[in-house]
Amino acid sequence: MENRISVGLPLMHAEHGEKRVFLPGFTQKLTQIGFEVFLEEGYGNPLNYYFDDYKKNNPFIHPASREEVFHKNYVLILRSPPESEYQLLGRNSCLISMLHYPTRPSRVALLNKLGMKTISLDGIVDDFNTRLVENMKAVAWNGLDAAFSQFGKNNPAMLKADNTPWNVLVIGSGVVGKHAVDAASKFGRRERNALHMEKGGAGVVVRTVGRNITSQPGQLIALLDKTDVLVDATQRYNPSKPIIRNEWLSLLPQDAIIVDLSVDPYSLDSDPPIMKGIEGIPQGNLDKYVFEKDDPQWSETIPADIPTNNRRLTVSCYSWPGIHPEKCMRHYGQQIRRLMRVLHTRNYNTLSPDGLYFERALFRARIGTFTQKQQVS
Amino acid sequence: MTMVKKQNKLTVGLPLMHVESGEKRCFLPKLVGCIEKYGAQVMLEHGYGREMGLSDSDYQQAAPSLVYADNIEVYQQDVVFILRCPDEERIRSLRHGACLISMLHYATRPKRIKLLREWGLEAISLDSISDDSGRRLVENFNAVAWNGMEAAFSLMQKIYPHPGFFSPTRHPIQVTLVGAGNLGAHTVRAAVRYGNLALQEELSRSNVPGVIVSAVDADITNHTGVMRGLLAKTDILVDASSRADTTRAIIPNSWLSYLPSHAVILDLCVDPYQQIGDQFHTKGIEGIPQGNLDHYVFAPDDPVFDTIPTHIPSSEKRHTVSCYSWPGIHPLACMQVYSAQLHPVMRTLVSKDGPQGIRQDGNFFERAISRALLSNHP
Repeated sequence: MENRISVGLPLMHAEHGEKRVFLPGFTQKLTQIGFEVFLEEGYGNPLNYYFDDYKKNNPFIHPASREEVFHKNYVLILRSPPESEYQLLGRNSCLISMLHYPTRPSRVALLNKLGMKTISLDGIVDDFNTRLVENMKAVAWNGLDAAFSQFGKNNPAMLKADNTPWNVLVIGSGVVGKHAVDAASKFGRRERNALHMEKGGAGVVVRTVGRNITSQPGQLIALLDKTDVLVDATQRYNPSKPIIRNEWLSLLPQDAIIVDLSVDPYSLDSDPPIMKGIEGIPQGNLDKYVFEKDDPQWSETIPADIPTNNRRLTVSCYSWPGIHPEKCMRHYGQQIRRLMRVLHTRNYNTLSPDGLYFERALFRARIGTFTQKQQVS
Repeated sequence: MTMVKKQNKLTVGLPLMHVESGEKRCFLPKLVGCIEKYGAQVMLEHGYGREMGLSDSDYQQAAPSLVYADNIEVYQQDVVFILRCPDEERIRSLRHGACLISMLHYATRPKRIKLLREWGLEAISLDSISDDSGRRLVENFNAVAWNGMEAAFSLMQKIYPHPGFFSPTRHPIQVTLVGAGNLGAHTVRAAVRYGNLALQEELSRSNVPGVIVSAVDADITNHTGVMRGLLAKTDILVDASSRADTTRAIIPNSWLSYLPSHAVILDLCVDPYQQIGDQFHTKGIEGIPQGNLDHYVFAPDDPVFDTIPTHIPSSEKRHTVSCYSWPGIHPLACMQVYSAQLHPVMRTLVSKDGPQGIRQDGNFFERAISRALLSNHP
């Protein structure tokens, strides 16, 4: 049998709600490119796919143990495996995952210490610094859908008694903020918007502000009392200070909903410490992303020093795209497939900054490139 | 195996646009060099790139075998590559079977499609080159939004009433944005930064209140009451909509009376007023003029308002900025973006010996080009 380059696909072993796995169609494509694919036992099961769905008589698809999978030429996994598992990686293996180098300095240090070869999916960018593997749209739409689903429980057409428009305030106008405006203007779901318009609803007015308003508390506070949905879509220069202080949340209507799209964690040990953009709201995950005001788990993810007295129903999820796992993985599969084609002819060591379009993009995502760039700057 | 040398190279002609004098854009030497490098013979029209400060030697250094010719000869090549679609007469000067690569906007230009087909041409519409998820690969919405907002705020600085645009005691600027899609998204980002980062810095240092953008989907504009309330507080009204039905305006001309007198209307969609068959198509904001790179700022007393088709109501007027080619305001920056986006596209096209070699099920860029071929357009 020909000697093919191997790709290992391990499971994520994260929270129960994390069901994402690469889909059978994607693994078939990998073999068409020329790879041999090894799936961790049980791969796909969270999405009701079983080995036979992947195998389909393809001689280049095999089951393997987690340890074996981690020894393949490429180890492809969406979310980073726990750092305790980094040592499982084979000496000649390359880990491909969302590694978030810029915001995970301790992870970068460990990867370098272990001499690992890695390609960070979130670091694969084109000549304009645009990410080639991302799902920001899903972040915004899933988050806004989660919020409006709460309002829609007893009011599917989202009609207000006085037939005034809904008011959404989006803080931040970066990539996530841009999608959030679009999603919010359609109640987070086109079908919901269509029903609302059909019933004669007055729609949504989405207000967006950037730093020149958020830096002026008076201007920002003035917007809160009319806000039905408050969205944090910020990318802060200084994450050690919240943008909305907890006491200001008292100005929001009692039934307002807070949507946390930034999902910056509380990390008081970091230097400088990292705070959420909206002070005193919890951090959710795929198992639990809706928090009622009196939720007993409200404070579980919030350090004791952070004020939490003022609360509104909050939706927050570390992995918003994972809410619709199959759709999300179809999207990622499409984006990653073309990159794997390049990795079939090149490898971590031979990727060149002067190569073709996708090769250049992959080169930028190597840990070596990132570390070198950091040293220069 | 013996290598067979190709007998005839694909020829690619790059003509000048010959439109308004403010239109200076030409593809950059690096892209021209790429076309030659991958096996085509390149022909440029005399004077190509000069308006952008580029010389013949800039192009010759990048593509040593290129030749210069007049406009007529450039249009006789296998592939004619030009950013904005040429006029009808020039389209008719292409050879039968040749390929025109340009922003052709198939969806809104049925007459153009008919002409291209009648003349036996193949075409690649740059605005239709898209990836497997439908994302455009050749676009500059960012420049549309930023250049448009920059123009609107530049005008607003001059006409903002007491206490003045630069006063720390003025209210935040209220921008009302119609359309929250792709272009709208870029517009939000540009608007909260005044379309100009240096201006943003300056105002921020002086503690001048910032910008609040209120975005609405085109759907809610059916609610006169809602729109009236919004318009009354609007400093800048932006049309960034993408209408399915361009025979109906989103903001009727009469509603412009609700705007404060100092308001500025920014037209980013630049849908034209046109008649197709017996249907009249109108702009999203009714009764505003259509600008171009020579003339894109209009005071309410500008005589250009008189050129709006008579059947379009236009009695309510405000200061307006509108430009058919917003990215062209900063030609070099614009062409850097397009050239980088087009590099892999042209490499693929030339290395496949032209559109006939493009496979629908080929690699990423082949598939993207395939979606933009006229012959694949329904």
